Amino acid sequence: MSQLQAGNDAPREIIRAEGIRKTFTLSRKQRKLEKSETGKKVALDGLSFTAYEGEIYGLLGPNGAGKTTMLRILSTLIRPDEGDAFIAGHSVVKEPEKVRASIGFLTSELKLEDFFTPAYLFGFFGKLHGMDEQTLEKRRGELFSRFGIDKFAEVKVGDLSTGMKQKVSIAISILHDPSVIIFDEPTNGLDVLTAKVVTDFLSEQKAQGKSIIVSTHIFSLVEKLCDRVGVIIGGRMAAEGSLADVSGGKPLEDAFFDLYKRTVTGV
Amino acid sequence: MSNILTIIKKEFSRFFRDRRLVIGTLLLPGLLIFVLYTLMGSVFADTSETYTAKVVNPSEAFASLVAPEGEDAAILLSEIEESDLDAAKAEVKNGDADLVIVFPEGFDQALAGGQTYPVGQAPNVEVWYDSGSASSSAAYNLVYSLLDGLENSLSNMFDVNFAGGGDLVSAAEAEASYYAMLLPFLILTFLYSGCMGIAPESIAGEKERGTIATLLVTPVKRSELVMGKIASLSVLSALSAISSFIGTFLALPKLIGGSIGSAFASYSAGQYFALFAVMLSAVLIIVSLISIISSFAKSVKEATSLSVPLMVIVMLVGISTMLFTTHAHAAFLIPVYNCVQVMAEIFSMQFSWVNLAITLGSNLVYIVLLVWVLTKMFKSEKVIFNS
Repeated sequence: MSQLQAGNDAPREIIRAEGIRKTFTLSRKQRKLEKSETGKKVALDGLSFTAYEGEIYGLLGPNGAGKTTMLRILSTLIRPDEGDAFIAGHSVVKEPEKVRASIGFLTSELKLEDFFTPAYLFGFFGKLHGMDEQTLEKRRGELFSRFGIDKFAEVKVGDLSTGMKQKVSIAISILHDPSVIIFDEPTNGLDVLTAKVVTDFLSEQKAQGKSIIVSTHIFSLVEKLCDRVGVIIGGRMAAEGSLADVSGGKPLEDAFFDLYKRTVTGV
Repeated sequence: MSNILTIIKKEFSRFFRDRRLVIGTLLLPGLLIFVLYTLMGSVFADTSETYTAKVVNPSEAFASLVAPEGEDAAILLSEIEESDLDAAKAEVKNGDADLVIVFPEGFDQALAGGQTYPVGQAPNVEVWYDSGSASSSAAYNLVYSLLDGLENSLSNMFDVNFAGGGDLVSAAEAEASYYAMLLPFLILTFLYSGCMGIAPESIAGEKERGTIATLLVTPVKRSELVMGKIASLSVLSALSAISSFIGTFLALPKLIGGSIGSAFASYSAGQYFALFAVMLSAVLIIVSLISIISSFAKSVKEATSLSVPLMVIVMLVGISTMLFTTHAHAAFLIPVYNCVQVMAEIFSMQFSWVNLAITLGSNLVYIVLLVWVLTKMFKSEKVIFNS
């Protein structure tokens, strides 16, 4: 299932989505608002894309385009209606546990329990990832000092600052040293300092050879971080390629608006 | 398996490290029940009260009934003149005395004469009381029954259960049937309320705070997560129920007399084992049900309020043993109801292994089914993301 490309130099596929379709059933109220007859909203309409090992892939799109839905499918939190996606060769539909073992998933929606300390939670999640005490201890030392959590290791998460909470979340999400990192809206709601911690972390992970996929609607973030982008509009892939391919010599923002006009109005 | 243990351990440390939860679910229920029942018991059981009555034309026959030889008088009688009658009535009205009794003149002689009269023409004993005062009402009832007894004894044709005859029940059996009615209801209510204090917090609370999704992106299987949650919540609910039960155990004798201890001593090891098995299946079913409600709810508050209707149903099923008992085997397929009936059978010493087997077997099927439903729910985006 792991897809090796022809030729030795060609990059190796690490994430591949194939015709992913996902619809949500609307409540009666939503049905009226959306003026939908069928009572279904199509979030993803046959989305396909490929990300290669060692790169940062950006899913770019406006709110409601389906970015978060796609990343939730990749992290196996929800299942696609049709299609499948493969991460490091594992199907998100058939082998969700193996997929979860090879990814680190981060989003502002995933919270840590306020009641526990970073040290406790690190141990708890480490055990759920099947790590032994020795490996766990070593990894905790590395990550806690990398993010400056050492001093706060025994402070309850609820008493930490927003920035420190984010750092703890990052440390815990990659404690099992995953080869793929999935990050939904990495800098949303963060101040500039905390946002920098996040972007620095992503660059650093890339340098270590990790494969990363992020979703965002922030152009500057894509320009700064991403090697390749997929532009999602209305649940479909409107354009995909290297940053240069997609922007076509223009600033990414302008290129996006052209693309949006073409896709939505058909002009 | 090790994942289930990891989750159980975490649920336990979440609970036991939180002083508020430990006090609220383990200490307070038992303590409150003990204090409440003891207070109720001391109010209801207070029969040593003596009443005061003012008497015009006192009767010796009546006085000897009020204070039989060697016993304290239940009513203190004090003689007054007929001219003081209105003042005495006023004392009853304002609570200084409980009763005014006016015997007709020559009452004792009339009794000795043994003559009978048609209704309305017999000598009349006036008893004045105030139904607005509890002690006056009680005194009136006492005097009324004493006078009634006095009248009956004069025209006696036969006695019932005076020199012989009586209840053949043994003390243990009498207590057993009493507890058979009461205990299944109490046990079920304690289990349910214990669970209601814990499960919504652990499931709807994690959902509300967004911490459950963090668990769901680890390689742990949904079924392992569900089993870990249900196992730990069951233990904690059972502990909370045990706390309530200890409170009841200590206070019940004060409330209704007798002792649960002596009733319990009469059960065999087999009965205890059966009781334990039934309670275990009951707690698993209740925890699963409330967990499903909590997964469905968007917040702890919603989960708690959605659990209330189910609690009413469970409590109604709990009192079913006071209304009727069944021995039809098919009835033991009904969840919760079967637990109540089997517990009642065990307590009343009319225990059937067949019914126990049907109950445990069917409950096991229900528990597996509920765990399966909960696992399904944990896979649904609607449940995880409140969308």
